[in-house]
Amino acid sequence: MSLQTQELNSIIPDLRELSLERLAELGDSALAHEIALYRQRLKETDVPLSAFQARI
Amino acid sequence: MIVTHSLPADAFTALGGGAGDSVVVRRLHEAQLSKHLMLLHVVAAAAAGIDPPSRAVAAFRAGYRLLARIQAADPAAVATLLGLPHIGSWAHECLACLDNGTSPDFGYLATAAAAVAIGLGVPFEVEVPASAGRVSLPGLGCLEVASQDEWVRLSSDGQRLRVGGHVDLECAALVPDDGTGEAVPYWRGTPLVRVVADGQAWEVLLETGDKYLDRYPLPMRTAMTASDVRCWRRLIQAAWELLLRHHAWAAGPIAEGVRVIVPFESHAGLESAASQAAFGAIATSLPPSAVSLAETLIHEFQHVKLYGLMDMVPLVEPGGERGYAPWRQDPRPMGGILQGVYAFTGIVRFWDTQRQVETEPDEVLQASVLYERWRLAIELATDTLLKGGFLTPTGARFVTALRERGQRGEPVSAAAAEIARDVALDNWLTWQLRHTAVDAAGVAGLAAAYQRGEPRGSEPLPDAWIKDDVRDIDAVIPRSRVLDLRFQEPRRYRQLSDADVAGLSAADVRLVRGDADAAVAAYRAVLHVAPDPAAWIGLALAVHRFPAETTRPVFAARLPLLFEMHACLAEQGIHADPLDLVAWFE
Repeated sequence: MSLQTQELNSIIPDLRELSLERLAELGDSALAHEIALYRQRLKETDVPLSAFQARI
Repeated sequence: MIVTHSLPADAFTALGGGAGDSVVVRRLHEAQLSKHLMLLHVVAAAAAGIDPPSRAVAAFRAGYRLLARIQAADPAAVATLLGLPHIGSWAHECLACLDNGTSPDFGYLATAAAAVAIGLGVPFEVEVPASAGRVSLPGLGCLEVASQDEWVRLSSDGQRLRVGGHVDLECAALVPDDGTGEAVPYWRGTPLVRVVADGQAWEVLLETGDKYLDRYPLPMRTAMTASDVRCWRRLIQAAWELLLRHHAWAAGPIAEGVRVIVPFESHAGLESAASQAAFGAIATSLPPSAVSLAETLIHEFQHVKLYGLMDMVPLVEPGGERGYAPWRQDPRPMGGILQGVYAFTGIVRFWDTQRQVETEPDEVLQASVLYERWRLAIELATDTLLKGGFLTPTGARFVTALRERGQRGEPVSAAAAEIARDVALDNWLTWQLRHTAVDAAGVAGLAAAYQRGEPRGSEPLPDAWIKDDVRDIDAVIPRSRVLDLRFQEPRRYRQLSDADVAGLSAADVRLVRGDADAAVAAYRAVLHVAPDPAAWIGLALAVHRFPAETTRPVFAARLPLLFEMHACLAEQGIHADPLDLVAWFE
C-alpha cells in the first residue's frame, strides 16, 4: 500500500549544519515559531515534560 | 533561511509497515539531533538573560564555548554527544523548568562538554556540578571527586585531567568500561557492551549513573556489580544473535538507533519503557531469557521510532478522549493506544517468526498464543483509532497500514487461537466492568420491562461511558492468572496442583480445570445469591467455551448493562437467572 506520494514536512528545523556559535547568535524570533509548535505538540499529546511517560 | 526536516515518502511507508530500516532510523535520529539543538537554543537564550550569571549559568556558558571550540575542529564528535538521549532528556527537563518558572540545571552542559573534551584529548578548564562526591560525564562515566563540594573544577592539558585539587588522571584511561581494561582509580566507566554475530556489531551503553536517564517509572539500577554487568553482556549477546538470525528486519535498525539501555532495579516481573524525551534509550529490568530481551528490544524500539516520527509529523488529533487498550486495564489516551498498536505490530512480527523457529511444543504454543493475542489486540485497537476520528489524515493512513501489516501471518493452531481469544476476552470483559458506567434510569427502565415479561423491543440501550473504576474489580483476577498458565507455563497448567488453584472459587476451579458445563452452573448459583462482577466475567468466559452458544455476542458487548440490570433486579428482591437475562437481549 502506498501511504504517501510526497515527502512529509516536519515542524523540526534542520539545525545540523548550524554551528553552536551561529545558534547562539540567532535571535529569539528565529526559532520562536518552531519552538512554540513543539511546546504545543507536547501539550496536545499529553506528554509530561518533566517526567517520562509510563509504558504505553 | 532555516528549513525543516522532512521525511521521504518511502521512509514513512516503511515506518507505517511497522518497520523502517537503518537509513530511516538515521533520518529520525538526525531530526532528534536538530530537536536537541532547538531546545539547547532555548536554554542558551535563558542563560544569556541572567545577569549577573550564577555559578551554574557561568558553567553553562563555559561548557557552551568549549563545545563550540571542539565543534570547529570535530563537528561529528559534538553531534554524537548532542544526539545522546542524555542530552535530549536534560533539554526536555530544562524546557519544563523554564515553563514552570524554575531554574534549569544549566551546569549539566559543562559536564557534557567536559566528557567530549576528555574523549578527544582537547585542553579545557570548566567548573562542573558534583553530587554525592561524583561527577557524571554523559556517555563516558563517572568521576569520584573525593569531596562533598557541589562544584568541582576540571582542567586538562589534553593528556592529563586534574579533578579539583586532589586527583590527576590520564585522559586516555577515562573511557567507558568495555570489560577489557584495568580499573582506574577515581573512575567508573559507563559499562559498554559490544556484541558481534554473523559479522555484524552493536555497541550499546548500560547507563547506570546519569540522573536524566533515571526518570522512568522504575528506578535505574545504579549499583551494578561486575557479575551483574557480565550477566547483561551475555544476555545482550544472545539476544543480538537471535535478532540477527531470525529478525533481521529489526536488528540493523536497533543497532543504529539504540545507543543506551537503562537497567531497572530488580523487579518481580519484566518491566520496560521508552520516552519521547530520550530518543535512543530504552529501559528494562533484566529479562529472564534472550528471547525475552529480544522481544523487549523490538517492543521498546518500536516506541522509540514512533516517538521520533510523532515529533516530526502529527498523527493524533488533539483531544482528551480515552479508550480501551487491549494490553492494559485502564482507559488510555489515543496517543497511548497508537503507541501500543505500533509496539505490538513489532511484537506480532517477532512472535510470528518465533512460532516457526521454536521446536518444543510448549514453546510453539506460547509463541503462537502471543502472536494471536497481540494480532487480535492490533485489530481491535486500530478499529478504535480509525472509527473514532481521533487521527489526523496522515495518522489514519499510518494506522491503516499498521492494521494491514498485522493481518499477514498464517493462522495459528485451533488450541492457540482458543487460548488467545479467551485471554483477550477476559481482559476486555474485566476492563468493561471496571470502567464502563451505564445510565441508571435507562437500566431501571429495562429492568422493569424485563420484570413485566415484555420483549426487549427496539428502544435504544441506556447511555454508557468510560469512567475510572466504576466498579471495584481487581485488574487481574486470580482466576485469570491461572488461565494464563495455559500458554505461559503449559506443563504446570496440565498438572494444576491444589496450591495453584488455592483462593479460587469453586466455579473458577471448574472453569480452569476445563469443565465448562459445571462452571456455568456454579457461576449461575453464585449470581443467584448476589451480583458479583467476577462471577459475571467467569460466566461469560465459561459460556464462550461453547462455540454454538448464541448468547456469546451479548456477553461480550453488554456485560456492564447485564451486570447493572441484574443488580437493579436483585435490589428489588428479584433474583433473575443470568442466562435468562442474557437471552432477553438476543
